[in-house]
Amino acid sequence: MPEDRMTIEDEALDWVIRLRDPGFANWEEFEAWMSAAPDHADAYHAMAIADQDIAEILATPGPKPLIVNTPAPVMPRRSRRGWLGGAVAASLAVVTGYAVVSTRADPYQVETQPGERRSVTLADGSTIALNGGTRLTLDRRDPRIATLDRGEAVFTVAHDDADPFEVRVGDDRLVDVGTRFNVVRADGRTEVQVAEGAVVYNPRAEAVRLDAGHSLRVMDGDAAVQLGAVAPGDVASWREGRLIYDGQTMTEVAAQLTRYTGQTVRAAPEVAERRFRGILSLGDRNDVADLAPILGVKVRRSGSGWVLAPL
Amino acid sequence: MAESGLGAVFLANRDRLLRFLVAHGAGDTAEDLLQELWLKIGTSEIGPVSQPLSYLYRAANNLMLDRYRATRQAVQRDIAWTEAATTVPGQSDQPAGERPLIAREQLRIVQQALDALGDRTAAIFRRHRLDGVAQRDIAREMGVSLSTVEADLRKAYRAMIDLRRSFDDS
Repeated sequence: MPEDRMTIEDEALDWVIRLRDPGFANWEEFEAWMSAAPDHADAYHAMAIADQDIAEILATPGPKPLIVNTPAPVMPRRSRRGWLGGAVAASLAVVTGYAVVSTRADPYQVETQPGERRSVTLADGSTIALNGGTRLTLDRRDPRIATLDRGEAVFTVAHDDADPFEVRVGDDRLVDVGTRFNVVRADGRTEVQVAEGAVVYNPRAEAVRLDAGHSLRVMDGDAAVQLGAVAPGDVASWREGRLIYDGQTMTEVAAQLTRYTGQTVRAAPEVAERRFRGILSLGDRNDVADLAPILGVKVRRSGSGWVLAPL
Repeated sequence: MAESGLGAVFLANRDRLLRFLVAHGAGDTAEDLLQELWLKIGTSEIGPVSQPLSYLYRAANNLMLDRYRATRQAVQRDIAWTEAATTVPGQSDQPAGERPLIAREQLRIVQQALDALGDRTAAIFRRHRLDGVAQRDIAREMGVSLSTVEADLRKAYRAMIDLRRSFDDS
């Protein structure tokens, strides 16, 4: 029987290959083969689907192009080669044999409700401050990996050249180079702002180094990564009750207000795309209605939350 | 749609397409699937098709593969559900963050396996599977015989499919 199975599989494989030819026209011959024995069609299906899966894996996107919004925060690639090699080697060491890593991981989650803020200290001395509405997945077996599932957090990382700290966010990775940095993950968007040191974004793909004062923003599915600037002192200012914006949409402002205050804030469609630059000082008062004049919108009650509406 | 060329070819070859779906193992659902195929060609924006019957066969073939894939995924979801339901309390499931990692890692493994087949075999597979170039044209392009292309493709497709299956086992 095993020999028969080989034969049928080989025949099925030949059909998979033949059918892939753009000009394939022997449909009736193919049909006759499938009808000849009950397991022919199944053998073909199994192989054709494995083939589709392989094509899908091979189509996994490579590095995205970079768009620089503000004067050249990216250093020339060549000059980074020295330390990059180390970062790449280290990250490869982490992922080689992913099956082993994923089965050995012992993940746990730290979560905050909107309006709640807390800080966690990891075994290596690194601390992570979570804004409201945030969920982090950590690993008891490996304190050097954190996944920001959603929300916003500041990472103050105890640096170790031999074992860089890695933050996973969406499909992307950030590897620290001695650092304090803020990461936002919301609505399919990833943002990174670096206050001290540097992080490397996707060391195995784009390999962008973000030094202090630099920011990055990428939407899921976007073809490009946008780089920008941020005053290092402003990074993660939410921890002092100051929310700083540099051209974010009202929708994004509303999402961050929701995270920070714990009150549902949304932007009306008329103002949703409007961009805001400025500082919102909330302190401990969490009074969203007070923000109207600064935001240039009307803030009105809607159920238990607020709507940012046109004046 | 019946006025369009494709619709007319569909109606003229209804029985052949039905037989094709039955040969695929569609069983009692063959008529329903044929109806689905009719709706599909009616609603999609299809430009002029040079080989309309071949086009319809291919669409029917894809429909069967989609159906087969959906059934298989439903079975796997059931298995996953059973496993999830028997998870030890206090042990979290694998975080969603692992998924993209696995996708990229698989890409790396697949590319390595492909490269390991040798430059010519890997190049022929890419031209055929990813660029959709016909075997005859690949042979001409690369200055090798058609039987070399066939042999290389067998080797490469087999290696790729076996590799794909090993991911499910691990």
